[in-house]
Amino acid sequence: MAKIKLDIFRFDEATDTVPHRDEVTVDLPETTTVLDALEHAKAEVDGSISFRRSCRSAICGSCSMSIGGVTSLACKTSCGSAMEEDGSVKIDPMPNFQPMKDLVVHMDPFWDKYARLKPYLQPKDADSAHATERRVSPDDMKKLVDVANCIMCATCYSLCPVVSVDPAFAGPAAIAYAYRFIEDVRDGKRPERLAQISEDYLWLCAHCYACSYCPKHVDPNDRIVDVKRAAITDRVMMNERGPRHALVVARTIKQTGMLAETEVIQGTVGRFNIRGLLKVAPLGARMALKGKLPPPFLKPVPKVDEIRTIFDALEAPVR
Amino acid sequence: MSSTLLPEERALDAHVRTNSSKSKRYGFFPGCVAKESCKELFNSTLLLADKLGIELVELTAASCCGASVLNDTNRDVARVLNARTYAQAEALGLDDVITICSTCTGHMRAANKELRESEEHMAQANAILGKFGANYKGSVTVRHLLWLLIDDIGLDALRAMVVRPLNGLKVAPFYGCHIIRPESVNGWESARHPHSLEDVIVALGGEAVDYAGKTRCCGFHVQLEKDGIASSMVGQNMRMAKDNGAEAVITPCPLCHLALDGYQADAAARWGRTDLPIFHLPQLVAYALGVPAEKLGLNKHLIDPREVMVSRDLIN
Repeated sequence: MAKIKLDIFRFDEATDTVPHRDEVTVDLPETTTVLDALEHAKAEVDGSISFRRSCRSAICGSCSMSIGGVTSLACKTSCGSAMEEDGSVKIDPMPNFQPMKDLVVHMDPFWDKYARLKPYLQPKDADSAHATERRVSPDDMKKLVDVANCIMCATCYSLCPVVSVDPAFAGPAAIAYAYRFIEDVRDGKRPERLAQISEDYLWLCAHCYACSYCPKHVDPNDRIVDVKRAAITDRVMMNERGPRHALVVARTIKQTGMLAETEVIQGTVGRFNIRGLLKVAPLGARMALKGKLPPPFLKPVPKVDEIRTIFDALEAPVR
Repeated sequence: MSSTLLPEERALDAHVRTNSSKSKRYGFFPGCVAKESCKELFNSTLLLADKLGIELVELTAASCCGASVLNDTNRDVARVLNARTYAQAEALGLDDVITICSTCTGHMRAANKELRESEEHMAQANAILGKFGANYKGSVTVRHLLWLLIDDIGLDALRAMVVRPLNGLKVAPFYGCHIIRPESVNGWESARHPHSLEDVIVALGGEAVDYAGKTRCCGFHVQLEKDGIASSMVGQNMRMAKDNGAEAVITPCPLCHLALDGYQADAAARWGRTDLPIFHLPQLVAYALGVPAEKLGLNKHLIDPREVMVSRDLIN
């Protein structure tokens, strides 16, 4: 047994203007889950501590909260693994959400982004056209299984740095769930889905892999890349900066072996987009003053023909 | 020797920094940004290698690692491009490829993991490499210079090499996502609670500043996608560092450097002025190990680090 100090964020939107913290000490083994420790604290010490929970076994997705500064499922995290040097476990509501009461947050923005996906199968044709159920091959289904494991706990959404500065971004969970339908052979709305998720800032993903902390190994980061590739394959919103950026990066690497910074900036913003280029100009000018501008043209790396051979062997013919 | 070797690679002298014939040789992959807009990183890495007594053999014919963007158009190209780089290292008898960029580290390790764990991927890569007489056997390990400092040099040895301690300079670490995440690819230290940069800062005689932003994203990869997005991410993180007492920031990633150094001015309107100078990892280590400050390219930074160095009596 150990004395575990639960350092808990306390706030009630109905009565409080500012939050405070309470420290509740429980006498439990360090292997106790944070959820069990909170249950113990609520039952034995302070019945007013509020948090969401249901299944206690990482299936329902209710108990996501910030533990030791990182969002995790309380039922899947031991107190010992999140303990500070002074024996305390710091527990906060999920970041990127408005706190409601203690560890309970308003989940609405997260659900709204799900709802926009129309997260249900929209088949190509009417059920009456089918004498039997719609069959999916094991290989086709395999692609969807990992994403179907999503328990909508919002761990990824709360860790997403883009959501934290731009709430318009769909967030990792919604994009991964869009993939689940975009790649479903039974679904008939692939073009609409790709257009909608592109409009919800698919290309604003910062490639930071914070969503790789997914407690169910859905790995939204990899599915976001898959959806981007699907958008490029289907030529969805190709004149936006995201797809242009991806294409110009590939082109400069093929031409020179290197990511040519100057050409990538021009190609992404648009060579003839004077307003856009003026917006990046002040930073460019500051860099120029320091002799820090990347070279306008790059000399290809030695044996660049080998690099082009690799591209030619793997690139699909341009549509 | 394989045909992927260039004449200049056979005559290694130009690319090898030697202190002793027995010193350990490493393959060196500087990455695009250290050769383009952050040349001061490339130069200070070579100066540091001199002080450490290691040989960095630059893989001069290597391509870009894919920079996390190439996968958006094709999931195979980056893997095979990296296989070509590893084949060059193997042909030079080098099993270690050392990077100086978090994004290179993560993406090259991811490619290597796929190649080594999947016969199918390895066969696909070698079928293409075979067209120009190259082959990758799978012997290469990709590591960041930060890991080399701790694993191969050692913190105690590093501390012993310090001739100009940082006089308690309060330095905030900024890791850069791809050196820690995903853990399944990197896994060298905890992604949630890393401390290698802090250990190095302390070994150099500085004080490490803890703040929640240290493992967060700088926004570099979406700086062009939507105006203001990267500067917001930079401002948020630098505000936290500043509020926790940081006088400067250290990063092992030149992409983070470009964003943190470049966007603090734009972020000031929303997050307040922070003006934290950003050191490349090898700059600060090389300084403490005795490389003259004027050789480190500090004048290339948009936020000049020399002011804070003067305030701590590190330079005149």
